[in-house]
Amino acid sequence: MATTLTIFARKISPSALFLAKRSFCPQQLSIVRHGSSWYPDREYLKTFDGPVMYPTADALAELKPAPWNNKQVPTEKTVRNLILNFGPQHPAAHGVLRLVLHLDGETVMRADPHIGLLHRATEKLCEHKTYTQALPYFDRLDYVSMMCNEQCYCLAVEKLLNIEVPPRAKWIRTLFGELTRIANHLMGITTHALDVGAMTPFFWMFEEREKMFEFSERVSGARMHAAYVRPGGVNQDMPLGLMQDIHQWACQFSERLDEMEDVLSGNRIWKNRLQDIGVISAEDALNYGFSGVMLRGSGIKWDLRKVQPYDAYDQVEFDVPIGLRGDCYDRYLCRMEEMRQSLRIVEQCLNKMPPGEIKVDDHKIVPPSRGEMKDSMEALIHHFKLFSQGYQVPPGSTYTAIEAPKGEFGVYIVSDGSSKPYRLKIKAPGFAHLAGLEKVSRAHMLADVVAIIGTLDIVFGEVDR
Amino acid sequence: MATYLEKLRHFRQAFKQHGGMLGSLKQLYWTEELKVGTYVGADKYGNKYYENNLFFVGRNRWIQYAPQYGMDYDGSQIPSDWHRWMHNIGDTPPTAAPLVEHPWLMDHTENQAGTPGAYVGYKTTKPKIEQWVPPQSKTTQS
Amino acid sequence: MAALWRASKSGSSLLMHLARPAAVTQSRSGTNYIQVNPGDPSMDWKDITDRAAGTVFITELVRGAGVVLGHLFKEPATINYPFEKGPLSPRFRGEHALRRYPSGEERCIACKLCEAICPAQAITIEAEPREDGSRRTTRYDIDMSKCIYCGFCQEACPVDAIVEGPNFEFSTETREEMLYNKEKLLSNGDKWEPEIAANLQADHLYR
Repeated sequence: MATTLTIFARKISPSALFLAKRSFCPQQLSIVRHGSSWYPDREYLKTFDGPVMYPTADALAELKPAPWNNKQVPTEKTVRNLILNFGPQHPAAHGVLRLVLHLDGETVMRADPHIGLLHRATEKLCEHKTYTQALPYFDRLDYVSMMCNEQCYCLAVEKLLNIEVPPRAKWIRTLFGELTRIANHLMGITTHALDVGAMTPFFWMFEEREKMFEFSERVSGARMHAAYVRPGGVNQDMPLGLMQDIHQWACQFSERLDEMEDVLSGNRIWKNRLQDIGVISAEDALNYGFSGVMLRGSGIKWDLRKVQPYDAYDQVEFDVPIGLRGDCYDRYLCRMEEMRQSLRIVEQCLNKMPPGEIKVDDHKIVPPSRGEMKDSMEALIHHFKLFSQGYQVPPGSTYTAIEAPKGEFGVYIVSDGSSKPYRLKIKAPGFAHLAGLEKVSRAHMLADVVAIIGTLDIVFGEVDR
Repeated sequence: MATYLEKLRHFRQAFKQHGGMLGSLKQLYWTEELKVGTYVGADKYGNKYYENNLFFVGRNRWIQYAPQYGMDYDGSQIPSDWHRWMHNIGDTPPTAAPLVEHPWLMDHTENQAGTPGAYVGYKTTKPKIEQWVPPQSKTTQS
Repeated sequence: MAALWRASKSGSSLLMHLARPAAVTQSRSGTNYIQVNPGDPSMDWKDITDRAAGTVFITELVRGAGVVLGHLFKEPATINYPFEKGPLSPRFRGEHALRRYPSGEERCIACKLCEAICPAQAITIEAEPREDGSRRTTRYDIDMSKCIYCGFCQEACPVDAIVEGPNFEFSTETREEMLYNKEKLLSNGDKWEPEIAANLQADHLYR
């Protein structure tokens, strides 16, 4: 059979066809050139005289009859799981996450996160910037909770400088840290809901987030990348009337949270998608280095704001929500409750906001005010010195961590006594959480991976740095 | 109920303010919205500014772009003095408290990216390296 | 300021009560840890029937849909840009501008502090004495595509020459248009000076 076919194929080889067409070309006479269609010519048709595809004896010998009981022995094949590339352009990938998923049907056998698509070498850049200049880079790490990153960096630098910021600066930092926490959780929960299929809360809560951007804009001049918290205090005092507006906003915000909870918390679709999905035991959570809500959702009582209070957290009253099962639903409940507790802290900050200075009055560290700078020669020299060379930080190293909305955000600075950090290392909570994704999402369905990515609350600015 | 009656009344007022059926339809086509407000002032390019504090901050002040712009209205057509009022940075419109005036101030221009008037960068310094001009001797000239 | 604190104190107690009452466990000294998950559902006969009724009559979905429906009748939060614009504050950091003194003399004295502090190194300055002997820049370039709008340049400027103005509508079609030179920055200043001056005046107590 095969040999016959090859003979046949040779007969109509393209070169022969071409020659046949050239020798007999009726197309040239007509105006319409049927260049795309082919009309068989006489010589070609002659090849079909006589039997066509008549099997030879050899070909017949190759054919074997089917077994009498029609049982075919299956041929052995090597099979492997489907490898699916998830992201980096997937809308549920929360930025530029690339996940290589090994799927058995729809079950995830392995999830291999690939990172580095948003790598900007922040740590290395900071080594070549003065301590002041390195600050704006911290806004851009976790670009959903900007002020918390700045706060952590400033605390670290202050620890090296061995200075204590004035109480008003502490309270302002606490206030805006908590506003940032709310903004972050709003973003985290609503995009999580969006990934799972609930779009409405996203629109509702972005209205609230917009208001928080407006507060940030009023206090710092930028809606997101504030560069407001500085080593030695905060940049400028809060404008008059801002606290009033934050209070007004805080009064109506818990209603908005209730609305979201009405739609989400009891909803059976939401519960079915989240309950017992992405369960991580307390032991595993600790072993994988989880922090923040990922840790508390598993029932571990740990909150850096409580166990090593920084800024004004030792003077405010708030509770820490703890989950029970360590699944996505518990973590969602934790985040909701954390927002309500943040609201409590915001309200206490507004009530207890002390008057006074917002920066330390050491002009070797913070630049003098503009009025002073224009009047006094000494202040002008300080101003020039600080904005050209920066301030020297005594040699030493520190690891300072805060409870960022996503978990423990830490900055490790080694100072060699110059005005630039010798080494700066950022401990981002999202990095450890993403490393645990493999563990958390194993043996889940493909659709659950999306829910788990949502609950990890990953932002690639800080994972890739 | 009363709020809905209020809405209806507002709509009727807006209908009247925009000059009946034809004007309202034109306004709807232009801005997709019928709003009634008090006239605050106009800038020198003919843009008119309105205010109605029944709306929340952000919507309480709005601009009616000058008819010369037609459908080519753009956010950057608001001049500096009214920009401040439009964005709620200050509450007093420039008609009530005029901002500083200098003889060297330039006329406002809209964002001209994509038009022939777009900004093109150029060097403001003399070039550091100058082209070498070969010395011209008499022999080569002849 | 004092009036503000007093005014803000009135509503605080309300919010304290709004925090949901939940099972509270005492752990470290004075630290409350709230258990957010109610745990296993109760197996009382009444509770079981209640839950079953809830499941059958999809109560929570109806309630959620009711909340969503209620939002249909609320005022939308959308701003009709460009006819309406979102609120800004005097501190807003937008497009850069080089300012002039009221006499029309440019302010910048080429001290290069902004160039030194700029974290993104977006500013390039060259200077030489002018004919009248005063030191001025011959070149003041800002690469707006590098700039991160941190506002350090306006903080550094000892003569309030470089400022980040209130304008944010300066998008361009090509990258070349973002390489601002001195003339462009000065013309920005000449265009926006009324507002820049007013904003600096409004914020002068905090600076």
